[in-house]
Amino acid sequence: MKVPAWWIKSRGWLLLLVLAALLCSPALAGAETMKVSQANQSLLSEPNFSGTPIAPVPTGAEVTVVTTSGDWLKVEYQGNTGWMHRGAFAQAETPKINPLGMLFGGGVQQTKSDEVALAGKGFTPEVEASYRQKHPEMNFALVDQVEGFKVDSAKLQTFIKDGGLNP
Amino acid sequence: MRRRSLCGIFLAAALSLVWGCAGMDYASIATIAVKTTAKAAEASRPISDSEEYYIGRAVAARVLGTNRLVQDPQLIAYVNEVGETVARKSPRPNTYKGYHFAVLDTDVPNAFACPGGIIFVTKGLVLMCGNEDELAAVLAHEVGHVANKDGINSISKARWTQVLTTLGTETAKQYAGAGGQIISLFEGSIDDVFKTIVVNGYSRSAEEAADAEAVATLRKAGYDPGALSALLTKMMAKQGAGSSGIFKTHPPTSERLAKLKSIAPATETPSKLEAVRTKRFKSVKI
Ligand SMILES: [Zn+2]
Repeated sequence: MKVPAWWIKSRGWLLLLVLAALLCSPALAGAETMKVSQANQSLLSEPNFSGTPIAPVPTGAEVTVVTTSGDWLKVEYQGNTGWMHRGAFAQAETPKINPLGMLFGGGVQQTKSDEVALAGKGFTPEVEASYRQKHPEMNFALVDQVEGFKVDSAKLQTFIKDGGLNP
Repeated sequence: MRRRSLCGIFLAAALSLVWGCAGMDYASIATIAVKTTAKAAEASRPISDSEEYYIGRAVAARVLGTNRLVQDPQLIAYVNEVGETVARKSPRPNTYKGYHFAVLDTDVPNAFACPGGIIFVTKGLVLMCGNEDELAAVLAHEVGHVANKDGINSISKARWTQVLTTLGTETAKQYAGAGGQIISLFEGSIDDVFKTIVVNGYSRSAEEAADAEAVATLRKAGYDPGALSALLTKMMAKQGAGSSGIFKTHPPTSERLAKLKSIAPATETPSKLEAVRTKRFKSVKI
């Protein structure tokens, strides 16, 4: 039996669509993991910085994302579930381009990418970048150095214990 | 996010066919108008944690524009260990990018807390502290200012209202359009904070609140809560030495000391473990 020419032509597209549908479906895409890039992070009881810390999460740890709420992610790590701020994870290298964003202007976009989400929201990395250019006398390099120092969590535990302090 | 970017590749490929995930994106056209309205309605939101962080970085950059940092790794590690130990017990144990402690290379005793959690203490003040508990008291007091948002609250209300107004009028445009105005408002905010934390000092009530918080934090952390009154007493004795530095930013007044003594008097005899801490304090080269 002869296969119609239109079928051969569109078969590739159909395959692609099925794949796209599968990958976009959260149920089939599997659990998403994210790597913690900031030091001294904890799982928090609530999605805000005043939440009670539940368990520490070291730099480099891979956590499983359960759900998200704005800039907060509910994650699972070593049997504990709690909230972590998006800032605890490495930022996306480049803002994701959305064709709708180009049509309607970046300010209205509500994408998940940190840079795009921050743009137009107030004092953002972009504002800092312009400020730095305007004020070369400010020493941001030293600020980066100060922020780059990380207290090793195992060392901190020993420090607290040796000094008879409360962990 | 990995899943999203993978999804994005397929979206791009399937974009010519309005179906599946691409369909969801087209549907969002309808919600954009709603989002724009919502954005305009965020009129009186407070400064966010990430905005506080960027202001704090710029204030720190200004401090570091005219001050050198002590680069001794042992001292840096020690001050951060003491600082982190108290920060964990403070009412605000986590900030957007955490607490970071650094030592300024000057003999003038002083300490400042930049919004968001960068805390500076000078070599002169570390030397004035005779032991770890007093250093912990200084750092707990500064963490208290961060927790109470005293630095960020010194940004004038009028200025912040202007920021929100500017953002409101620019929602439909690209970010770049609002740039100039927002940057000058950012500059003004840095000035407001810098003037308070470095030049003029906080209000008396902010100082007393940070003292009370420091005492509670020291107690929770296992440090001597009386260490702050002990240090303040020392500072008062040296007050004749100058009216700059810490004497200007955190004035050691007799009212402040009286309040502090009523909640946590200086302890006469240190505990055995405090002696262990004092020993390690003395072993750090300053
Ligand atoms: Zn103070």
